[in-house]
Amino acid sequence: MVAKTDVFVAISIAIFVLSLAYITSLGGLGPLPPVDVRDIAYQYLNLTYNPWRRFLTSFALESVTAIIWDFRGLDTLYETAVFYGAIIASIALYRGVKITHSRGGTGLSPIAKTVTRLSFVLIPTVAASVALHGHLTPGGGFQAGSIATVVIVLAIIVFSRYFLPGHGLSKERALLLRSIGLLGVGLTSIGLLLISFLLGVNAYIFQNQAKLDAPLSYPSLVDDYTLGGSLLFFNLSEFIAVAFGFMIVFLLLSVSEEDVREVVTRD
Amino acid sequence: MTNIAVLTAYVIVLSLYVNLGIALYGIFARPSLVKKLIAITILSDTANAFAVLVGYRWPRNALPKPPVIPELPVTRRVLEEYTSSAVDPLPQALVLTAIVIGLAITLFIAFIIIQYYRLYGTVDVRKVRRI
Repeated sequence: MVAKTDVFVAISIAIFVLSLAYITSLGGLGPLPPVDVRDIAYQYLNLTYNPWRRFLTSFALESVTAIIWDFRGLDTLYETAVFYGAIIASIALYRGVKITHSRGGTGLSPIAKTVTRLSFVLIPTVAASVALHGHLTPGGGFQAGSIATVVIVLAIIVFSRYFLPGHGLSKERALLLRSIGLLGVGLTSIGLLLISFLLGVNAYIFQNQAKLDAPLSYPSLVDDYTLGGSLLFFNLSEFIAVAFGFMIVFLLLSVSEEDVREVVTRD
Repeated sequence: MTNIAVLTAYVIVLSLYVNLGIALYGIFARPSLVKKLIAITILSDTANAFAVLVGYRWPRNALPKPPVIPELPVTRRVLEEYTSSAVDPLPQALVLTAIVIGLAITLFIAFIIIQYYRLYGTVDVRKVRRI
């Protein structure tokens, strides 16, 4: 039998949705689809790769990556910190739980294992390509890290939860690699600032290309290959941080239930 | 801009409103914490899709293009065409940030729900309230 509160909630939500639809039909969202973008969007598009305004451009071909790691880089640093914090909090929930090396898990059939072994090479290649071209085509560090995570999930499902720790990719090592990725993000963000101390010139945190009063730049072009300055380094570091961050999560999610209950009930 | 483009935009907006309704129903009415979590993810995805829609555009004399400069070297003509036809990249960047933070929070909530189930043997909020 349906509860009265459920009916009340359903009717309230239906009225809410119909009201929104009515407001939209009256033109509440403006012309649909919109004909033009806002001024700030025009500025971002115009400055993504603009050799005529070299003190403001990021010299990348992909505007989203330019915004994420250059124009609004500090936002992304905080976002990375939130992601890192959530993973640390998840690890804290599993404190004391040991991932044992083998309980006799055999995984799926040899056919599935053989095909998966091929994907161990192919998927990271795609991920690396997405990370390396993040400033040129749609993609970037987070997307690449997510793609690489597929390999980790496949390894756990096809080979068993003990496969990765048994091959030296323990939770602790993943945490170390993730921290190296984050260190890369941090160092890239203050790279020019550190060099500026040595050279005695002005520089800013998250500076990519030279500004009017800060002459240092990350390389934007190497032998006809567009690097996008710091964006390439940010994407690579984020790729490592996200891939190994997800690895920790999936290793924790696949921990043997007996191992966890042993610790939880003891606490 | 064709009538089909306008119709499609309205259908997308309406489907997002329906998604919003389903997500709110899941959050308010379903007793299972797992279903509430699924509803929260639907809600955040709907909000993200709205944000991307806000940044979309269909220019008067051209087709909409993704915010990626298509060719090198970048001449003034290329840059002018790009700025006059590419969609707004800012909502896409903000949505990417929102997805990452949303994912982190979702993971943490999922871990808490699993832990709750281990400790109390239920994810039903009606039973959880009595514990």
